[in-house]
Amino acid sequence: MNPPNPPNAPNGGAQRPVRQIRGPQSALTDFLASHNINANQIRQDADARRAAALASRQAGDDDENTAPTPPSEDEPVTIARKRESKAQTAKRKKEEEKAIAKIKASKQFQRKRAAYGSDSDVTDEDEAARRQFEESHAPLPAQTENCEICEKRFTVTGYSKKGEDGGLLCPKCSKELDKEQGAERKRRKTAQGRQRRQVQSNLLDGIYPGAKDLMTICIETLAKNVDIAEDLGDLPDSMVNRLSSILSKRRLMNSTTLNLFLKMGKDTINIHEGAKLTADDYIRVFQWTPTVKNLLVKDGIQFKNKVMDHLIDCPVKLESFSIHGSNLIDDDRWNRFLQEKGSYLKALKVYYTDGHFGDEQLELLPKTCPDLKILKVSHNQKVTDAGIAHLANLNKLEKLTLQIYKPTTSKPYVKVIDAIGSSLRTLCLDAVHTINDKVLESIHNNCHNLTKLRITDNEVLTDAAFATLFTNWSNPPLTNINLSKCRHIDAADPRDNPSSIGLGSAGFVALMVHSSKTLRYLDIHSCRHISLETFESVFNPTEKTYPELKKMNLSFCSNVNDFVVQSIFKCCPNLETLVTFGNFGVRDVRVPKGKILIGVPTAMGMQIEGTEDGEGRVI
Amino acid sequence: MSSSTQTQGLSKYVTLISSDGFEFVVLREAACTSGAIKRMLDPKSGFSEATTGRCTFAEIKYVNRFSLPLANMDPGPITDIGDGIILEKIAEYFCYNFKNRDREDVPDMEIPPELCLELLMAADYLDT
Repeated sequence: MNPPNPPNAPNGGAQRPVRQIRGPQSALTDFLASHNINANQIRQDADARRAAALASRQAGDDDENTAPTPPSEDEPVTIARKRESKAQTAKRKKEEEKAIAKIKASKQFQRKRAAYGSDSDVTDEDEAARRQFEESHAPLPAQTENCEICEKRFTVTGYSKKGEDGGLLCPKCSKELDKEQGAERKRRKTAQGRQRRQVQSNLLDGIYPGAKDLMTICIETLAKNVDIAEDLGDLPDSMVNRLSSILSKRRLMNSTTLNLFLKMGKDTINIHEGAKLTADDYIRVFQWTPTVKNLLVKDGIQFKNKVMDHLIDCPVKLESFSIHGSNLIDDDRWNRFLQEKGSYLKALKVYYTDGHFGDEQLELLPKTCPDLKILKVSHNQKVTDAGIAHLANLNKLEKLTLQIYKPTTSKPYVKVIDAIGSSLRTLCLDAVHTINDKVLESIHNNCHNLTKLRITDNEVLTDAAFATLFTNWSNPPLTNINLSKCRHIDAADPRDNPSSIGLGSAGFVALMVHSSKTLRYLDIHSCRHISLETFESVFNPTEKTYPELKKMNLSFCSNVNDFVVQSIFKCCPNLETLVTFGNFGVRDVRVPKGKILIGVPTAMGMQIEGTEDGEGRVI
Repeated sequence: MSSSTQTQGLSKYVTLISSDGFEFVVLREAACTSGAIKRMLDPKSGFSEATTGRCTFAEIKYVNRFSLPLANMDPGPITDIGDGIILEKIAEYFCYNFKNRDREDVPDMEIPPELCLELLMAADYLDT
């Protein structure tokens, strides 16, 4: 079978009759005729092509074993060139060879060969050069070309795909090709991407990549099959809590799954994400588990007045109440709750209550909650200086955490620390932008039992005051210290720090001397005035060792570099995670096996050092 | 992990025995993934397990008795699930963990949902 002639094949015009003008004709016809284009001829060609296609389809239907149109491979070339003379062919070949030789000699080609030489499937140099030549001679967008597979004529676009033999494909064929292999390739790529992201996400969570422990696998399997579980049996509370967190993370905590956690006789219920629970669900918590003593609800939006009324009227005696995001409980309900149930309370944690829970409630606390040991008021928009001052009367308080949105001053904090500082074990003051050295002085003089200290986001405290705090302090060494974002801020002159504001070299040295023995968690991110020399001397592996240190955050301490990080790994044998975001001196560190380094500013990822057990690798 | 001088003279394999008498021989190093077994086998501890290299888990039966069935199972088969099945799964986990100790993209081990609770209790006890 002869394939049809393309309408504008290069030499197609030779067959057409000479231009003849007979009678009146349109300007278009005249124009076309002057360019050797004959509408009649085109129509005839098209008819012939259609007839041929029909014939071939019928032939294909008749004989199923043979492919419908088995075109020989070099057919398109022969059609296009069959009418050229021998001399023309020789000339074309000569030119082609010349061009290929030129490609082979070109630097770009050599470079490409060198870069892909090993893994490219094109091994033969001649073949590679020929392929490049053909590619460069492929039709440009908006020109027309015959499809490599179906041989139909189509307009080439920038998106036209290449077939197996280097020719272009028509949109229909490329769509089919996509269906065959594209989906598979895409899926494989995304699966790999997901896996990589998962590894990185685990690293950020402090989970070392590798096989999970059996408990985690079991709890995750349980979470996956939570819809068929009816009862959790006698699982220990710690595991029930882990299951609850995994379900919450996957947003699976709803009315049905909540039932698993409600059981007569239980005293602890942790709902880490209660956004899907309704007010009636929360009421059910108290009805089904009247024995509950420790209740934690996060994102408890529907934990509102109605639920509070029920809680106040029912016999539940909460000892620990942690509530997060319940901004629909009004101040009257809080007052009633504290008056009715405050006497049982040992721990009260209130987060994100927007316009509710203010000074009035803090004033009530000392009267209504005589046994309160733990108080957290966090992300609160209502409390002011006056409210904080009332906390000075909470004599039994051991843990205090405050994060107040309204601007606060040093005075009430000093008053509270002076009054109850001696019994405090945890003191956390978050986002205290303007408190001054008097607070640190008061801590130094009054606190003798602290294990955890957090003062963040301040631009007034001085390095000298930090140094004084940690020097000759009667408090035993601390385990948790977070002084992040205590630094000098001046947009006009960010480098200079003339009055030594923020945790600087002196304060940091004093801190590490005081707490080196027991310190487990240290966060000093953004304390950017600590010098390189200080880091080098504090983490000097020949002299210093910090046996308990597990997690450290040195992000945005711009002087930290590869050497410091390497020294830290040497003098903190039990370190699990080191965070160094934004430290551009950290580039190429070999991380010992089993430790996690987060925030290396290269795309390389974490490079694990080789040991006698195995080779190093990059995660 | 104990140093090579300490482990010299100790056999490379240990035997885990379930309360219903099934025995599983696993690599000592793999079994030491479990904190409890590691302490049992520590030569310094002086436990008989350390000298014989045989650990008997009568306790896992306790675990079995107290766990409750998942909803899709009738209570019948749960009594038939021998402790051997749980310990077998634990031994399988030791091998899985040992085999994948130097890899980061490890596929999760398959756990039949009906064994999940019992295995969880056992994992808690064995500290793995």
